Order: sequence, then C-alpha cells, then structure tokens
Amino acid sequence: MTILVRLEQWKEQGTISPEQYARLAGLCRGDPFSVFFELNVLLYAGVLAFIGGLGLTVSTWSKQLGDFVVLTILSAILAACFWYCFSRANAWSPRETASPSAIFDYVLYLGSLVWSVELAYVEARFQLLAEHWDVYLLATAGLFFFLAYRFDNRLVLSLALSSLAGWFGLTISHWPPHQDATYRESAFVYCLIVGGAGALLSRLAVKPHFLGTYLNVVANVMFWTLLSGVFSSQSRSAWFLGLLAACGASLAWGLKRREFAFVAYAAIYGYIGFSSLILRELSDDTAILGYFVVTGLAMIALLVVIARRFGRKS
Amino acid sequence: MSLYDASAEQALRIRRLLRDWAGEGFITDEQCQHMEQETACDLRTTNIFLRLLLLLFTLIIVGAAAGLFFAVIGSATSERGAGVCLLFFAAVAYAGAELAVSRFRLYRYGIEEGLVVCAAGFLCAGLQLAFLSGRGHASWDGIECVVPLAGAAFSLWIWRRFGLTYAFLAAMLFVAVLPGYWTASRLVQHLILAAFYATGLAAIATLRSRHRSGGLEDTWSFIEAALWLGVYLVINLQLSSSLPARWLGIAGSAAQFPRAFYWSTWVLIWCLPPIVLTRGLRRKDRFVIAVGAAVAILTLVSNKPYLGWPRYAWDPMLLGALLAGVSVSVRRWVVRAPGGIRHGFTAERLSGKHKEWLNAGTVAAGLAVHETIAPVPESPAPEFHYGGGDSGGGGASSDF
Repeated sequence: MTILVRLEQWKEQGTISPEQYARLAGLCRGDPFSVFFELNVLLYAGVLAFIGGLGLTVSTWSKQLGDFVVLTILSAILAACFWYCFSRANAWSPRETASPSAIFDYVLYLGSLVWSVELAYVEARFQLLAEHWDVYLLATAGLFFFLAYRFDNRLVLSLALSSLAGWFGLTISHWPPHQDATYRESAFVYCLIVGGAGALLSRLAVKPHFLGTYLNVVANVMFWTLLSGVFSSQSRSAWFLGLLAACGASLAWGLKRREFAFVAYAAIYGYIGFSSLILRELSDDTAILGYFVVTGLAMIALLVVIARRFGRKS
Repeated sequence: MSLYDASAEQALRIRRLLRDWAGEGFITDEQCQHMEQETACDLRTTNIFLRLLLLLFTLIIVGAAAGLFFAVIGSATSERGAGVCLLFFAAVAYAGAELAVSRFRLYRYGIEEGLVVCAAGFLCAGLQLAFLSGRGHASWDGIECVVPLAGAAFSLWIWRRFGLTYAFLAAMLFVAVLPGYWTASRLVQHLILAAFYATGLAAIATLRSRHRSGGLEDTWSFIEAALWLGVYLVINLQLSSSLPARWLGIAGSAAQFPRAFYWSTWVLIWCLPPIVLTRGLRRKDRFVIAVGAAVAILTLVSNKPYLGWPRYAWDPMLLGALLAGVSVSVRRWVVRAPGGIRHGFTAERLSGKHKEWLNAGTVAAGLAVHETIAPVPESPAPEFHYGGGDSGGGGASSDF
C-alpha cells in the first residue's frame, strides 16, 4: 500500500484533516519539491572555494600586490561581512533563533574565515607577536565564541572550539605525532574547560542547543587523550581505568539521551583500548585471531541488546 | 527476487516520513503515534550509529574467523586449496546473511550487510586463488576477468536481493576494471566502459518509467545518478586518466589519446551536465540533480587542464563566487514567485533531516577547515617568503 493510499485512508478515517492531507500528499508527490538542501550545500561549497582561493591568492601574489593592498582587500571583505551580519541580525535571545536571511549564516562564516586568513597573513608577514603567536588563537577563539553566541551559529562555534583547541596545543583532526604527557594535560584541561562551559551555559539556558556540539568535540578529544595514555608505556592501568570510566559515562549519556553517537564512541574507543592491553600480552596468531572472534561476538551481542532496547529511534 | 516484502519496505518508509512530518509540525505527535500503529511491520531496523558498529564488528568476526581457520590448518593447504576454502566461506557468509534476514528479519541492521560484504570479498579472493594463482602475465588468456566479472554479478545480486544500493556502486567498480583485461588500448577501454554504463542507464530509465508509482523511487534515483556520474567520469579524460596517473605516479595522460577522441570528450563534458540537470529537475529527482550539479562543477574545474590553459591562484575564488552567486540567485528567483513556489520548486525547508545533515556536515567540516588556515607557529622561521607567480604561472613556484 503506497503512502498516497494510506493518506487517503487516514483522511477518510478523520485521523488527518483535508488540509493536512493536501499538504502531505503534495509533499509525497514532490509538489512542491524543496531545493533548500541543495542551495545550502552550493552556498557552503561556494564559501569554502572562495576562502581557499583567497588564501592561495594572498599567499602567492602578496609580493606583487603589496601588504597594503592585501590587507585592505581582506579588511574590506571582513568589514562588509560583519557589517551585513550586525546590521541584519535579530535581537539577541538565549534561545535558539532563526537566521534573519537564508545567506546570513554563510556570510558570518565567510567573515570568520577571512579573519583567520588575515591574521595568518599578518603573523606570517610581520611576526608581531613572534613567539607569542598563540595569542592570536586565543583572541580568535574569543571572537568566534562571541559571534557564535550572538548570531546563534553552529558553524562559527565549531571554528571557536577548533581555535581554542589550537591554543591549547591540540589539533582536533589528528593527534600530534609526538604524543607526550604535555599534550595529554593540555587536552584534559581543554576538555574540562570546554565541557564545563558547555554544560554550564546549557544549564543557564543560554543557547542550550549548542551542548551537543560541545559534547561531541569534548568526547572525541577526551577519548583520544585516554587512548594515547593507554598506548603509552607508563601508568597504563590508570589510563585504562580512566578510559573505562569515560566509556561508561558516554554510554550512559548516549542511552539516556538517545544520542547514539556517544554509544558508538564508547564502543569503538573502549574496544580499541581494551584490545591494545590484551593484544600486548599475546604473540600467538591463533590466540590473537581467537581474541577478535570472541570479543567481536561479545560486542555484537551487547550492541544487539542495546539496539533492541533503545536503538530503533534514530 | 528481493528478500523483503514491498509492503514491509513501504511501511518502513511511511514510518520514517511520519516521524519527519511530526518533527516539522505537519502532523501532531498523537497523529503520528496513531498512524505508526497502523503501519507496523516485522522488519528489525536500527539507527545509523549502531548499524555501523554492527557492520564493523561483523567484519572483524568473520575476517578473524577465516584467519583463524588458516592459522590452525597452517601450511597444510596449497593456494588452490585455500581458494576453495575461501569459496566455502563465501557460501557460509552468504547463507548467514540470508538466514539473518529470513529468520531474524534484519533490515539495514549492519550484521547482514557485514556478512554479504565478507561473502563478496571471499568470493573474489577465492576465485583468484583457486583458479588463477600461479598464472604469470605471459599466460593471460582472458579468463583472468572472471574475478571482477563474478564480483560485479554478485554485487548486482546483493543489490537486488538485499536492496543495498551501495552494492550497485561496488558492481560499477568491478565493471570499471573489466575492459583492462580485454584490451590494452586505453581509448577502447574508455569506450567499452562508457557503453556499459550507458546501457545500464538506458535499462534503469526504462525500469523507472514502469515503477513510477512504486516505493522504490529513491533507489532508482540513486542508481541512475550513480550511472550518470560513472558515464561522466569515464568521458572526462582529465579526471579518469590524467589525475589518477598523477596520483599514482605512473605514465599516462589525457593528451595520449587521439585528438579527435580527446576533443569529442571535451564537448561531451560540457553537454552532459545540462542534460543530467534537466532530467533531474524535470523528474524532481534529488540524486540526479545533485550529480548534475556536481558534474557541472567538475566540468568547470577540469576545463582549463583540458584546454592546456594555465591555472591561477584565484580560480577557486571565482568558482566559489560563481557557486554562491548561483545559489543566491536561484533562491531569490524561486522565493519571488507567488507562494514561494516556482514551477513546483520551493527554497523552503520541508524536511527535518535536511537540517540535521547540514548541521552535522558543516560542523564537522568547520572543525577541519579552520585548521588549514589558522595561524601556525612558524614565527621563528625567518626564511618565510612571500612571492612567486611573477611570470603568470599562478604562483606555482612560490614558497608560502
């Protein structure tokens, strides 16, 4: 039975009104057909291509153009973007607010990225802060947090979290090759500050919908940190206990809030950490392969139980 | 042929739509619950995260079990014997997948998907070892193509039997390597592959016209879009020939093709995007529209290399401005129509999942993008030098 037939039945039964039937049947037939997603992706790709080209042009043609021209052009784009955003923004509200226009979020995103390009240019060219270059990252993170909360923008919030991670000496997409205690300490402090701030702001009902972004970033950084401790040669057991505690917390949060990304984090990071400890003691191929069969089956059984009890609603 | 009843799949599709409509406020939660009760079905589904986890651990178990078998019997088997064993494992894994669906009614659950992926891998490896091991290049007689041929046939079977659309992509990849077994001429290889995909496209177009009102529109749309993309990539010699050669560091470039063929493909890469886009827009077919837009961008990107023109640092800026301009213009044009609907299209969001995809995609990209342009600790390096591009080479020699 097709959806149109079902809708017809529900209309006749009085489950839905004729107006609802007309709207829903139209949606099923693609009338109207929404191109919202496609237009947004196109705009986002346009902003990314533009900023990539801008950075490339600035880096390769700065000598011919001169510092004054480069900085004037970058500052002009920056000013135009921020003028657009501040002049058209809705009044601030601690709740989730809709963008005043369809392109608003992308203009703000463009302005934020141009700010980063300009700072990178200034520091690379003039070395104003020399060895204190990381202050740029802190200032940038501060600006981006302000913009994200002022304009209710998750895109810029992700830039703010990334900048702050940079200030702490981290890179979110990959762990530095020289894994050492200093990075782990920085990562922990970062997780505490970001996670704590996110939770506090959420509790204060200031943009509570941002909490998911905070927690996803914090969870991944935290798990990478704990895993690097488990892989290290010192205090492995303590790190492993920490990893188990984090897995338990992530699993509990994911199940309670029906956010299964956190269940996935707990399963993947926990399995990797546990396996690294066990496999270190095994040298026989048969035992190693047997370990994967047995633990894999155990994980499947656990996941099936979770899926049956909690996992139907995505 | 399919393991699933059309009515059960349709019920699942309806339930997804109902939740989406409830999320958007088109129906109330009470209406949604009431209607969901009437669309109950016996298929077991799960969410994307648990599905991926189950898929991963199924692959680990089956791969480790096969490895364990060979570790236990050790060197007792010859290559041919190992191949026969792998074929047996393929049969067992496939039977397991069938059982998981028929007995436990799993639907996109990860486990049955992992089993069929393993079955495909074992089948190809088994055929290679059982029938083709020890054959040097000198003894090639065409039978070597049996591995990709079997892989393609099996993938198509999986697609039809289990309804896994990505199995069709796997079949396309297997088909892509087939012409290499039949001829050394790269020109003929491209022609054969284009003919394969075009034939598939014609077949799918015919099938779609018959199933217009069925519940498989999304599947057909995806398959058609994949075939359009396949045809485009095969005829775009800069993408399918020069780029892989450059990446792999091997000889071979688009310029090695006969001039007539080379310029014919250049004409075709300009003709194809409007055709695909027009078809997608006429049918209101999301995947085909997406591929139409993607190949239009790829044509713009590969045009200069095709013509041998120099590329400049600001080219991406122009492309970005063009994309943003097109997006804004189209949106305005649509919004200005009465009711915000022009020719049946609207720029309004009508589905919650589009917002979720955008949020997830842009936040993830935001975390990655910023790292590439944020200030880096390079200040102590005095040799930092801006320049290059003095002679119009787009700064290719610069050392930013």
